Amino acid sequence: MAIEIRNRLGLADVKSDFRHIAGRKIENIHEELLELEAKGEIKVIHITDANKPIEAETLFGRKKKIPTTKLWHHKSCGQCGNIPGYPVSLLWFMNKFGTEYIDERNQTSCTAWNYHGSATSNPVGLAAVAVRNFHRAYELGLFPLIHCATSFGDYKEMRNLLVENKELRDEVRRIMHKIGRELVLPEEIVHYSEWVHVMRFEIAKLKKYDLSNIITTVHPACHCYKMIPEDCIYDKNIYAGKRTAVSTGVALALGAQVADYSTWYDCCGFGFRHILTEREASRSFVMDRKIRPMVREANSDVCITQDTGCTTTLDKNQWIGKAMGYTEQVPVMADVMFAALACGADVYKIVQLQWHTTDWRPLCEKMGIDWKKSEEEYKAYLEQLRSGGKPENLYEYA
Amino acid sequence: MEYDENGVSIVSNEFKKEIFEEAKKDFRYEEYVKGCLNCGVCTGGCPPHRFFDFSPRMVLQNCKSNDPELVWGMMDEYVWACFQCFTCAMICPFLNNPGGVIAILREISVRRGFESAKKVLKPYSRVLLKLTAYGNQLSPDMIQPDFFPDWGPHIGYASQDLPLKRKAIPMPTLQVTNLAWDVAPEAMKELYTIFEEAGVFKIIEVVDPALYEIIQDIVDDVRSE
Repeated sequence: MAIEIRNRLGLADVKSDFRHIAGRKIENIHEELLELEAKGEIKVIHITDANKPIEAETLFGRKKKIPTTKLWHHKSCGQCGNIPGYPVSLLWFMNKFGTEYIDERNQTSCTAWNYHGSATSNPVGLAAVAVRNFHRAYELGLFPLIHCATSFGDYKEMRNLLVENKELRDEVRRIMHKIGRELVLPEEIVHYSEWVHVMRFEIAKLKKYDLSNIITTVHPACHCYKMIPEDCIYDKNIYAGKRTAVSTGVALALGAQVADYSTWYDCCGFGFRHILTEREASRSFVMDRKIRPMVREANSDVCITQDTGCTTTLDKNQWIGKAMGYTEQVPVMADVMFAALACGADVYKIVQLQWHTTDWRPLCEKMGIDWKKSEEEYKAYLEQLRSGGKPENLYEYA
Repeated sequence: MEYDENGVSIVSNEFKKEIFEEAKKDFRYEEYVKGCLNCGVCTGGCPPHRFFDFSPRMVLQNCKSNDPELVWGMMDEYVWACFQCFTCAMICPFLNNPGGVIAILREISVRRGFESAKKVLKPYSRVLLKLTAYGNQLSPDMIQPDFFPDWGPHIGYASQDLPLKRKAIPMPTLQVTNLAWDVAPEAMKELYTIFEEAGVFKIIEVVDPALYEIIQDIVDDVRSE
């Protein structure tokens, strides 16, 4: 299939009738996981028909089952703390689709952001936290859906380490017994962006605004597709299967343009430690390696992310760039937030863009969204709450 | 550990060897350090290499040299430059994982309470406190203009009327200001047990004894509730 790409707008939509999937010989963790289950060493949270799974192809061709319902939401520190519209948009879609889920307090952070920033943990600690949270989903009969890319990367890694190391399994099992839990691993480690990806055509059916004139640039998260890359979704109809398909897939399904830019593979500059204690590095990286290329090369209207840290880093570090003559600006939001906007979710109450730093109003106006009306309604809603009104929640919580 | 007038640690060759052996004994080491062709593709793709004197190729080469002196040379500031993005691991043709090696070396540095680790992690204590005492890492009330002046004037939005704005988020678990989500006490208590059993509290005690005392007070309070 000979394809000529004339500009930066064509690459994401390149289809291929063949995807080269040969290469590395890797241990099949998934088979070993089931062997350990058969030996009674671990328990496995299986994806059953009740989860209504949809299959997607991964880097080396293995089919990964993505459960679409009966989900246990595993939260992200940064999303909940700083980008609330991220999980709200996801739950808003799930309510639209009648997805069964639980969003609850009985969970802890994966602790991996801290680990990658400060090293004040170790594999036993990280694996035990992962299994503790998996077991909580298991006892509720639900499948864990992981919101944060760093949790996703960490849990994939911990799953592999646990499958490959008896000593680690024994130690984690000992700790689980101390807290009244068992050694449980899910059949697949599933990121929310994978749920969005396999649901993208259903999402597109809810589309309210024409996005054909919106140029998006996708920033893929390192801990999604660089950590244990063989567990990530690739699709021969997206980037011809040469780049991970999530996030790009939903933008294309919604009819937006997805433009390439030369630093697509670069990280965001988060650095885990750097974003908190050495932000000069983070902001230089943001402006030089991500925002400028997105704007200058692709004339991007919006940067689409798939992770917590990336969204924060890319959004928050643009303002300071002006001091050094960096005038390029582009609003930043996660794939699911962009999709929610496109499907008519309220800018303030659901997508919660008011927490974002880089101006997103020009994007809304280009999409045809009346953000001013939304702002007025939100202000009135805040006054209602101030005078003792009841919050309008997406679910009831006992 | 002794330091010269420039603050550089003075250590014996035996100690350097001990540190290298500790790294090699880690059960992940052999998985992370395989053959290195010195092709440099890891460094070519390494994000922090553009801004710091840091090269994942050198990390691998130093480990493969089997020279404790070279590995010791990375234990101070060098290991803390890494972004932990694992670009190097993904693109290495030999399946090496320089980012993983960095994680092992950082763990040793923290576990042993090296001054370089203490210095690098000093500004990190607020995050460590939140995570280890309360179960999640970033709270809405941490986003204050005086901590993040470089994030621009809009960052003040989060500090005004915060309880009301959090109440307006349509997820009940998020309607708090001092935590990212309202972690259940039973989950916190389980996390404390994990941290105790895995030696995480001990690491914090080594790297920041004052912070450890504060955390233990909170842990005691939560446990007694």
